[in-house]
Parts: sequence; C-alpha cells; structure tokens
Amino acid sequence: MKWAKSWTLSDVILIALIGIFFGAIFMGTNYLYDVLTAALTPFGLAGLANELLLGIWCMPGMLAGYMLRLKGSATLGELLAAVVEMFFGGQWGAATLISGVLQGFGSELGYIITRYKHYDWLGLTASALTTTIVTFGWDLAKNGYLKLQLWLLVLYLVVRFISMFVFGGVLTRLITDLLDRSHVLKSTHTN
Amino acid sequence: MNPSLKLLLLLLIALEISFTTIVSLNIALVLLAALYLLLKGTKFKTLGWLLIVPLLPAIGLWSTQYINGSGDKTLMAWVLFTRIYAFVFTGATFTLTTNILQLADALEQNWHLPSKFAYGVLAAYNLVPKIQHEVQIIRAAGLMRGQQLSFWSPQLYFKAILVSINWSQNLAQAMASHGYVEDAPRTHYRQVRLRLRDWLILGLGLSCLQLGVFVIPWR
Repeated sequence: MKWAKSWTLSDVILIALIGIFFGAIFMGTNYLYDVLTAALTPFGLAGLANELLLGIWCMPGMLAGYMLRLKGSATLGELLAAVVEMFFGGQWGAATLISGVLQGFGSELGYIITRYKHYDWLGLTASALTTTIVTFGWDLAKNGYLKLQLWLLVLYLVVRFISMFVFGGVLTRLITDLLDRSHVLKSTHTN
Repeated sequence: MNPSLKLLLLLLIALEISFTTIVSLNIALVLLAALYLLLKGTKFKTLGWLLIVPLLPAIGLWSTQYINGSGDKTLMAWVLFTRIYAFVFTGATFTLTTNILQLADALEQNWHLPSKFAYGVLAAYNLVPKIQHEVQIIRAAGLMRGQQLSFWSPQLYFKAILVSINWSQNLAQAMASHGYVEDAPRTHYRQVRLRLRDWLILGLGLSCLQLGVFVIPWR
C-alpha cells in the first residue's frame, strides 16, 4: 500500500467531510429527482432524471481528484461518500458501494490517462468523459440499458456526459477557482 | 458474522444479480433477506418502509423497459423492478444490523486497512448531524445577505469546503493530542475475529446463489 503513505489523517478526514457535506447539499435535490422521475415515467423516460442529476452525485470524486491531486483521491473521495451514504439514510445498500467505486474510479481514470499532470480543462474534460463511460458501462448491466432501443441509449449517454461536464467539470472548476483565490489550500499541507 | 465478510457476500450478490435476468431469483433474495431481518428483530414498519421507498424508481425502470425496451420487454421490465428490491433488501440486511464502527474495526483488524483510513472516516461520520446543521447555517447566512445558495451555487460548496478544511485539521490535531499516531502499530480494545464459521457462511451463501443462477430452472 505505497499510495497510502502519501495520505495523512487530516486528508482522509477532509475528503470524508467533503463527501458528507456534498451529500447533505444533494439531499435538497431528491425532490427534483422524484418529481422528474414521476413526470417522465408515463413516457418510459424515467432514466432521464437519473442521467440529468448523476453529475451531482459524482461531484465528490471529481472534485477530490481535482483539488487534492493525490493518487487515488478521486476514487477514495467518491467511495467514502458512498460508505457514509450507505449507513446514513441510503437504502440502496451494497449497490451504493459498487456505484461509488465505479464513479470514483471513472473520475480517477481521467487523471490517470492525463498522467496526473493536467489539472486544467483537459484533465476535467477527460475525467468527465471517463466517468460517463465507466458508469454507463455499469448501467448497461445494472439498469438494463443494454436492452433499450438505440436512440434512447444515445440520448442517455449524451445527457449523462453533459451532466458530468456541467457539475463535475464546470462547477468543480468554479469551486476550486474560489479556493485558489482565497489561498486556503496553500495553508494546508495537502497542496 | 464478521462484518467485512458479510459485506463481501452482499457485494458479490449485488454484482451477480446485476448480470442475471431471473425474476424468481430476485424475489427469493428479497424473501430471504426479509426473513433474516425479521429474525434479527426488525420491525414490520421498517420492512414496509423498505417496500415503499424504492417504488418510484422501480416503476420508472419498469416503464422504461416496457415502453422503450427491445427484445423481451415484459421480462426485462419485471427483472429490473424486482432487482431494485433485491438490492434494497439484501443491502438492508447489512445496514440495519451492522454499524460503521463494526465495519471499520473489521477492516482494520482483519484486512490491515491503515488505521488512519478507518478512524478518519469514523471521525467524519460522527459529524453527520453537525454537517447537516452547518449546511443550514451557510444557507441562512447567505439569505441574510440576499444570496440564495442552491445546489448549483459554487459559493455553497466553497463554504462547505472551508468548513471541512477547518474541521479536518481540528479533528486530526485532537486525535493526535489524545495519543493517536499515524502508521504506528496499535492494540485493540474491541477485538473482531475472523472465524472459520464466517468463511463457511460466505462459501455456502455464494454456492446457494450459484444454484439459483445456474442450476435450478425456475425462471
């Protein structure tokens, strides 16, 4: 566990706290999910609600990867958020953990293929793209997307990427710009 | 059962049923999980809640396949409907009977997870109620200055991260001042054992699942 050495206790707590904070903020979007799902169900498009909002749920991992810049931070950020969600009010059980690992690893993959060097729009876009691909691959099996008609599959994929890019890319960038301007990250030993 | 092996078993079940299309297997898992929960003293009210909460997403998945699916639409619709319930009920056998402390202990003692990860997450987990309160405070503070902070506002996340940085350093210092040393060997007051019995239950559980998936033609 060589990668574990570069992590300090406060990094672990920080990344877990961010995951929980974001979870607490996302709770406010649950009503939106319910309303959208209910409205789209008669047309057989309920998945669209999930696709539109999935970027929000992948934010802890994407932000942690971009902000902490440690190997494994995206994966761990999303996984820890999923662990806490599983115990705190999450009813999806073990499936939460599987999704969490895949979402986190998907975000990590973007930084892996850019060799942990591109903490700019290239890295963010790559991360949004890999998160979309990895999570979509899982949904092909888990949510039965494989059996959907092709046009719907393409629609879902495009909407999911837009959601990932808007929340995991643009919003992450806006948040980290604020952090840069306030110089808080320099005062911690993590950056 | 050892919490880590219990979680492993449930993860493997969730993975495997994601790749199968057997309605009766999903229903059997729901019934088994419900039976287990009742034996563990879960209230009927909680079970009822587990039935109601996933209903909307389950109907959503059902209608998506039924209207826009290809191939055997009806079968796939019911597979996905019951799969959601299988996830929820098998998951509940873990979350309703095991807490995060037991899981952290097992991962640390049986699987050599570095203690900073186990305790770091526990430290954060115990702040959940405080965090929910803090989000309300941040929102209220924004409203006082006429700023409506919503889930798309960068400022809301920015402020949450500021608080996280602050708290994480305070907590780490507090733990260090109580004698916690990162990466140092530790002794344990709460002992978690990994017994042969745990491995047997895992093996038996997985074998039964394979019977349900491959052998019994009950689809």
